[in-house]
Amino acid sequence: MLLGAILLIVHIARAQERFTISGTITAQKTGETIIGATIKAGNTGTTSNEYGFFSLTLPKGTYELEISGVGMQSRKLKVVLNKDMRIPVTLQEASATLDSVTVSASRGRSISSPQMGIERLTVREVSNIPVLFGERDILKTIQLLPGIKSAGDGNSGFYVRGGAADQNLILLDEATVYNASHLLGFFSTFNSDAIKDITVYKGGMPAQYGGRLSSVLDIKMNDGNNKEYGVGGGIGLISAKINVEGPIQKEKSSFLLSARRTYADMFLKLSSDSTINRNTLYFYDLNAKLNYIIGPKDRIYLSGYFGKDVLGAGDIFGIDWGNSTATLRWNHLFSNKLFSNTSLIYSNYNYNINIRDGANNFDIFSQIRDWNLKQEFQWYLNNRNNLRFGLHSTYHIIRPGEVRPSGQSSINPLLLERRYAWENALFASNTWQAGDHINVTYGLRVNTFSILGEGDYYAVDADGKVTDTFHYSSGDFVKTYINAEPRLAISYQFNATASVKASYVRNVQNLHLLSSSTTTSPTDKWIASTNIIKPEIADQVSLGYYKNLAGNRYELTTEAYYKTMQNQVDYRDGADIFTSDPIETQLLFGKGRAYGLETQIKKKSGRLTGWISYTLSKTERKIDGINNNEWYNARQDRTHDISIVASFRLNKKWILSANWVYYTGDAVTFPAGKYQIGDETVYYYTERNGHRMPAYHRLDLGATWIFKPRKKYTSELSFSLYNAYGRENAYTINFRDSKDKPGTTEAVRIALFKFVPSVSYNFKF
Amino acid sequence: MHKSISYLMFLLLAVLAVSCEKVIHVDLNDAEKRLVIEGVVGNQAGTSKVLVSTTKSFYDGNDFAGISGAIVSVTDEEGVVTSFTETSTGIYEAPSLIGKEGKTYTLLVELEGQTFTAVSTMQQQAMIDTIYVQDDNLFGETRKVVQVQFTDPPGRGNGYRFVQYVNGRKEKEIFIYSDELIDGNTATISLRYDDDDDDATIHSGDTIVVDMFCIEDRIYKYWFSLQQGASGNNWSTPANPVTNIIGGALGYFSAQTVERKTMVAP
Repeated sequence: MLLGAILLIVHIARAQERFTISGTITAQKTGETIIGATIKAGNTGTTSNEYGFFSLTLPKGTYELEISGVGMQSRKLKVVLNKDMRIPVTLQEASATLDSVTVSASRGRSISSPQMGIERLTVREVSNIPVLFGERDILKTIQLLPGIKSAGDGNSGFYVRGGAADQNLILLDEATVYNASHLLGFFSTFNSDAIKDITVYKGGMPAQYGGRLSSVLDIKMNDGNNKEYGVGGGIGLISAKINVEGPIQKEKSSFLLSARRTYADMFLKLSSDSTINRNTLYFYDLNAKLNYIIGPKDRIYLSGYFGKDVLGAGDIFGIDWGNSTATLRWNHLFSNKLFSNTSLIYSNYNYNINIRDGANNFDIFSQIRDWNLKQEFQWYLNNRNNLRFGLHSTYHIIRPGEVRPSGQSSINPLLLERRYAWENALFASNTWQAGDHINVTYGLRVNTFSILGEGDYYAVDADGKVTDTFHYSSGDFVKTYINAEPRLAISYQFNATASVKASYVRNVQNLHLLSSSTTTSPTDKWIASTNIIKPEIADQVSLGYYKNLAGNRYELTTEAYYKTMQNQVDYRDGADIFTSDPIETQLLFGKGRAYGLETQIKKKSGRLTGWISYTLSKTERKIDGINNNEWYNARQDRTHDISIVASFRLNKKWILSANWVYYTGDAVTFPAGKYQIGDETVYYYTERNGHRMPAYHRLDLGATWIFKPRKKYTSELSFSLYNAYGRENAYTINFRDSKDKPGTTEAVRIALFKFVPSVSYNFKF
Repeated sequence: MHKSISYLMFLLLAVLAVSCEKVIHVDLNDAEKRLVIEGVVGNQAGTSKVLVSTTKSFYDGNDFAGISGAIVSVTDEEGVVTSFTETSTGIYEAPSLIGKEGKTYTLLVELEGQTFTAVSTMQQQAMIDTIYVQDDNLFGETRKVVQVQFTDPPGRGNGYRFVQYVNGRKEKEIFIYSDELIDGNTATISLRYDDDDDDATIHSGDTIVVDMFCIEDRIYKYWFSLQQGASGNNWSTPANPVTNIIGGALGYFSAQTVERKTMVAP
């Protein structure tokens, strides 16, 4: 019915004879499909989808197609279109040292597409940005973009347009990654060697995405070279990586295997101190992918990720946590205009804590696991309408916490009730070229979230006391939430280089992350909506102006947004995250609002590339039971946020880079007084988040030395200096009785990373 | 449990970062003064005591003067009212009031026309079986840690608070424990804390005193939320502890049992 409604509005042009040219765009050397390549035929054109496929329907005639992709040499292709054609297109990789204007270093924004609030990056363009410990990290790189903010010094967590860290949908080959950070947030789970493409949607999310309020981070893994074998790798300050890929059957199937492991723990082992060297601290990631071209119409992909962190303190505490995901996909062409993808997706996050404390030996286990089926069609109806529709069904199983005593233990076993939910979404959207200057994308996503038994559900009063308990058996539907999420985006193009866009989007979120600490913790708790915890809903409107300058070498983007959020969840004061009481007794609910202005000027080509971005924004929350029910600044409310990123190709050997960031300190709660309880000083608080951390700023420098390639062997040495002028940025400010001046109290600033040099060596053959 | 995460955080920072600590000046707002009541009904003579004070500015000294002139009383279940007398500024005592397990007590504090009340029930006392010192291998060094063994009475809702003195010096750390995971069992608790000061660590020959208080579940929550939100550590979101006092005062009122054990560290 939804589809029918959309079809009704679709204008079917049937003037002259038209034919369709379609195909898959791949890189010549590796056979990797190219995402987002543009295919231009005069005034009209299209871009390749996430599997490199494109379809373009044109009147009969002779055309010169211009095909270009990021980091690829553009190519012109003459076609005589007098029948439907399917052509494979290969593009040649631009060599790193080639100084050619036909190569765009970054993909750039489409002036004409109605899609706004989008940021796209390829691993190639982020590879020279200096980073902490020289560990290339896409999550830290996207924090340099306007509207995306870092969760803290050296942290891979991020906030988008006032949203919380859990309101970002992070997808790796379509599988949800529930905890994208290693080592309490200092590194992300994404090994950049295995990654092809990164797309962030800050607003105006297309209808095929849903489930989180503020953003979508869609990460695509490489497929693996199907032409020849290749080995790549790197050795850095804290980790080593290896990457192996190659054909299984030449030009038909390929594999990719990528692994990374840190060796900070090796340094611990080197310590002569027996209590230090008995501590454990490491993480690893494993990415693997297989793909197989069955025929001209079918291709399958199997990809997986497995990562784990292990931390242990002596013999007493240990914790390990990690994600695993698996995606099986089948691309099928029903016709040269109808592309289909079917995915079976598994995703899992769990942690396990073990405590060996005298007579108290026990483990705590928690897990969230999803099974997904996703069917999506892209129908290139005609050159004015491009339709996308499908369904997405997910079964969630949450095990909030299980205490298991081991050996001789005075601890009783405890099993917090498992939660089951079945989430379904139907979606459809159409991108319609309404006129010569106007493009419109309109769509709808209908989301249902069914909470399933078995289990007890509760009624809770305003003080957080359970007043009633309802028992449901296995198979019972506790409650089903149905939400419609309209999506609308319009662009008006003034000319070839300037446009204005507007969009409205509603997003619904049924999984909520509870975090009691101010930093990322592996034990932050995912909970599903219940009869009491309602789906979070966000409505966002945005308006943008886009201008390409100086022959498309510069790109100016300005976007303004206003967002409201309903059913926001927060902890009650003094809440206990590990309690066995119903979680609803620990929670409070309210709303949020966020608005801001983002602007970026980007230089896309030439020896010097980079951007300057600035965000002015405000983010507030109003939760019943916090701050006297008044609006207060969210922790991530940062008025000003500036990033400057620059990369300069000095010569064939050297690439120099630098970035500088500045942002207003987080809104935090500081004491408004003190008193004494139990003979100790206790701090008294009034308003929530009424103070500011000191402003944060930092300069990072990097230099990459590219060695002369020898046959197939290429290598480079990267140097970086994080926080080059040694700014002591406050990570946290604590309050305590003074150690030097007894009888007084003092504020203590803890700063983390100051002048962190690093070096890493990367190679490929 | 909660502490284990922060220990790991410390370990991580120690390895990854040269974290540096500096005393700084932060501009703070001064809120209007609030009344603070710390009320206890104990099960031994001389342990029932109510302290009345107020908040003060962060940058003032730590001399927390008491407030005189409050009318303080405790009423038991039978309606027997015991008046407290001010023995020194802000300290109100009723030496004759000895609480009994299972009985509920109501505190009433009146000051300058304002009334504050709170209710607390004395829990069944769990006695200490034994205390001993054990070597603990955590970070950097081997430390002596006091272990307390006791048996929790069956039924959820028992909370415990311990105070440790080493050679008469009180350890700042808040030691609290709930029976959530140990209900009805014989448990051994480690009084572990992170303090590098030499006089805070236990050496052979030191005299160790441990006080054990059996507290209600909601008083456990008071101490828990104080430790999480109001002890000055900003790793978690700061907030005032969840009090059981009605009327707008900070603090708590607890009917609690007390037991003291003394030993010399081997």
